Amino acid sequence: MTSSTPAPGTGARVRRERTRATGLRRGDAAAGWLFTAPVIVILGVFLAVPVLMALWVSFSDWGGRGSPFSGDVDFVGFDNYTAILAGGGLAERDFGIALRNNAWYVLLVVPLQTALSLFLAVLVNRAILRGRGFFRTAFYFPSVTSSVAITVLWLFLFSATGVVNKVLAAVGIAGPNWFNDPTGVVHNLLGVIGITSGPTALTDADLLGVSLWDWLAGPSVAMSAFVLMAVFTTSGTFMLLFLAALQNLGGDVTEAAMMDGANGWQRFWRVTLPRLKPTLFTVLTLGLIGCWQVFDQIYTGTQGGPSKTTLTPAYLSYTAAFNSQDWGQGAAIAFILFLIIVAFTLIQRWILRDRPVSKRRAAAYLPKATKTTDGMTR
Amino acid sequence: MTTSTLADRTIGGTDGGSRPTRRRRPTGTIAAQSVLYAILVVLAVVYIFPFLVQVATSFKTDADAAANPVSLIPGTWSAAAYERLFAGSDFPVWFANSALVTVFVTLGRVFFDSLAGYALARLQFRGRNVVFAALVAVMSVPLVVLLIPKFLVINQLGMYDSYAGMILPLLVDAAGVFIMKNFFESIPTSVEEQARIDGAGTFRVFWSVVLPMARPALITIIILSFQGSWNELSHFIVATQSPELTTLTKGVASLASGQLSQGTQYPLKLAAAAIMTIPVAVMFFIFQRRIMNASEGAVKE
Amino acid sequence: MQSRQHRRTWAAGALAAVGALTLAGCGTGFSGGSSDEGGSGGLTSSDDSLSILIGSSGDAETTAVEDAVAAWSEDSGIDAEVSVANDLPQQLSQGFAAGEPADVFYLSTDYLAGYAGNGSLLAYGDELSNADDFYPSLVQNFTYEDDFYCAPKDFSTLSLIINTRLWEEAGLTDADVPATWDELADVAGRLSTDGRVGLGIGAEYQRVGVFLAQAGGGLVNEDGTEAIASSPENLEALEYVQQLITDGSLAFAPALGAGWGGEAFGKELAAMTIEGNWITGGLSADYPDTEYTVAELPAGPAGQGTLQFTNCWGIAADSPNQEGALDLIEYLTSTASQLAFSEAFGPMPSTESAAADWTEANPELAPFLAGADYAQGMPTADGSIDVITDFNAQLETLGDADIEALLESVQSNLEAVVG
Repeated sequence: MTSSTPAPGTGARVRRERTRATGLRRGDAAAGWLFTAPVIVILGVFLAVPVLMALWVSFSDWGGRGSPFSGDVDFVGFDNYTAILAGGGLAERDFGIALRNNAWYVLLVVPLQTALSLFLAVLVNRAILRGRGFFRTAFYFPSVTSSVAITVLWLFLFSATGVVNKVLAAVGIAGPNWFNDPTGVVHNLLGVIGITSGPTALTDADLLGVSLWDWLAGPSVAMSAFVLMAVFTTSGTFMLLFLAALQNLGGDVTEAAMMDGANGWQRFWRVTLPRLKPTLFTVLTLGLIGCWQVFDQIYTGTQGGPSKTTLTPAYLSYTAAFNSQDWGQGAAIAFILFLIIVAFTLIQRWILRDRPVSKRRAAAYLPKATKTTDGMTR
Repeated sequence: MTTSTLADRTIGGTDGGSRPTRRRRPTGTIAAQSVLYAILVVLAVVYIFPFLVQVATSFKTDADAAANPVSLIPGTWSAAAYERLFAGSDFPVWFANSALVTVFVTLGRVFFDSLAGYALARLQFRGRNVVFAALVAVMSVPLVVLLIPKFLVINQLGMYDSYAGMILPLLVDAAGVFIMKNFFESIPTSVEEQARIDGAGTFRVFWSVVLPMARPALITIIILSFQGSWNELSHFIVATQSPELTTLTKGVASLASGQLSQGTQYPLKLAAAAIMTIPVAVMFFIFQRRIMNASEGAVKE
Repeated sequence: MQSRQHRRTWAAGALAAVGALTLAGCGTGFSGGSSDEGGSGGLTSSDDSLSILIGSSGDAETTAVEDAVAAWSEDSGIDAEVSVANDLPQQLSQGFAAGEPADVFYLSTDYLAGYAGNGSLLAYGDELSNADDFYPSLVQNFTYEDDFYCAPKDFSTLSLIINTRLWEEAGLTDADVPATWDELADVAGRLSTDGRVGLGIGAEYQRVGVFLAQAGGGLVNEDGTEAIASSPENLEALEYVQQLITDGSLAFAPALGAGWGGEAFGKELAAMTIEGNWITGGLSADYPDTEYTVAELPAGPAGQGTLQFTNCWGIAADSPNQEGALDLIEYLTSTASQLAFSEAFGPMPSTESAAADWTEANPELAPFLAGADYAQGMPTADGSIDVITDFNAQLETLGDADIEALLESVQSNLEAVVG
């Protein structure tokens, strides 16, 4: 990247143009590259190079000793990818399980956190009396704490005789043994109505080594606790985004709609929500990207257990490389994950694509939305 | 505050759509407001209670914590967890490491992000658009992809298991550059032009004229960098191995998976989690207004 | 892979190689080619200080190892520093990949194959002056592709741990200590009360495996060349365990809200547990008031059976001072050192010559050592750790599992990595 830096002198024509344009921009080219150099170098070395390196490792048989570029390391084509996607062995099944767990996680967390944060934003936005700041603070506070600290807290709250189960017991519900319960929520619900085993059509067919019936197991009870944790910790951040967007909308639109006689609910759906589309897009995108990368919580909390039901592709990638010495497979998992994230983002961008009218509106508050979110999720 | 009327209708106004303003229906409004506040209070309790439990439990004995997890007042007050953390473990080292890394990363990001943000917003140079596009592309790379090769690069540079390896890779972040660029684009160019006419160099203009004006955005960067580096885990997992370079996140994570302790020892773990929450909490309360208004302010300025 | 060439005694190698490989050992260039090691032969030697990476069970273990290493340092004049890993496998992997591993480290049987397979380990077993003194079964555990890689550090077996007070309260006497599966089922049933099970164990092959062994089964055959997970013996064993779960007299630790068997035992959520030597340290630290007896595990249809666990002292192939490392390890595996470790944190010496002294010092723990006669080791084939992890995941739901299908899946996974 740095090689494309124009050597002093090559940009003479450019500089002349600039000088003409702004009068006093003689040193801009040099300064521009100088100012951006630290960022380019650091991101290049610690982001771009590792990505390329990981890409190479995912196509190699590097075993974890010495440099992956040494002569002993061979190119093995798509071997690592096929082992994961069609190997028929444990590697494929582990990846299938991890993908299933994470898919359910995404399926629950993304809508829940989006809905809850929008709900909170609407509530807080509406509260004009005393306490508005207090509520905002209360809802946002979990977002600033680290995932490690929250996971530790969550392990305590959701332990067998922990706070959550005591509270549930107080209202007459026998709570599950959260982080040690590997049973799937959907399977459990089906069990309540007497369905304990799936039709052979589902149990016999499998995808990535996991039977379709097991794909439909739902998140395990343990994973559900992580789902609640994710909703708890992220809803505050996204609430702020929605809050900002709501305040930007102002009253004019709503008043116009009121003249039409639409009631509150209709106005929300027909007028407010469409206006929030850009923010909605930001929230959904960030939610998706974040949810497919669950790592800290699993590393700190369950290490994939119970019964691998909290295994995620990110964590699997880590253990495959660092614990099982399957570095190529670990890197391959990471890249498949990367592709999944990109695909989801594109699909969702397509679904939520804007009509030109609201795009102009969007321009009014998109920059600020981007601002807050990008940083806070890091 | 016309926005409030919008929200009035969204939640409470199922029956009152035809009435345009609150003033005309005082009784209904009071009822609606009561319901609203009831919901808000319940939710706030749900959000705050876990943290109260955390602090309370850290002062309990192990047995008390197991027997009365919900109680917010310890049966017998015990600072044993804190004593064990500070006198009997590496916790102070972890804390010092986290603090050190956080300070350097925050300083670095404030400086480098604003420098690059300024260049991208103001300086006309060939390749600017390429740099910007690359930046956006980098932001979309999921960080877990980097877990495996990052330490190889760090090692190749001879920085593995050192403060340099912990700090340097975190020293800039694409999102921060993005924020600064957006901010610089929002302020008028007239002041800079004046300084330039007076003969100030580009860096001088940036340092003495533009940067002081960027305080709100800089505070945003400070908050985000502080929070980000204090809470970072995976980078430190792959960048270090020595006990003396362990940070709070890494240390507490190992505590949680039972390295230091046999058995559950929840007071100990929750005390550690509580202490590691304090600095970000303090940061949060100092800059609270700024955080809350981060989004609102940015556009209006 | 390389060890057969390394026949020279360490003393001779030390003199010959001083300085010669020091520089090469520091750079990554050395790590690149395992092929050129065959030519040079011998161990590396230098004045470099040694780094020792251990995964410690607690302060007692850390202090004991530090003291022993410090004593050796004083004798040998070579500096050595002990570090405690947060996450040993991960830190080892990073060290190997970086070309700068710790010189000497704990290495469990689980990871031997992976590291030996990628050339990270020095196979120095045959060069040990006390090589013949180790239990053959332990040597077998650290032999990969016919090379004896590393010296067993110590070992543990599993025994039945009984809460003496609860035992007596249930009206049981010493004569009731179970010797057969039926007797075990009987006493476990009698010890089960509301809120407590008779037997509480970890939900993992590393505990449940004792029943497989007692039934005459296991995961791999004796020389580790064939997967036997789906054998009828294993089926019988798991059906027995499942029956105990159904009866309510056995539960897994997580189901009891405990992290491991020792915690369930200490909290009296279980009146008996199956654990190894390390439980003595855990109980005296966290539950000092618990009184317990250690008994040999009951015999199953195929007689007595238990599992044994062991770590070895690994030496990195990239270590610049392998001579020093070897000397250190000979010191650490000497009878005196091992007895000191045993006293500090409970494991049993890995050398036969220390057995008598150990039994004399720990008469109440004798059942652990007795288990050594009939203990099975963990499978060591590359990838078996993943198979066991998967097996463990399935064992958690053993209570209502289809055992045949479960064993069948373990079998097919195992076949992929064994042989």
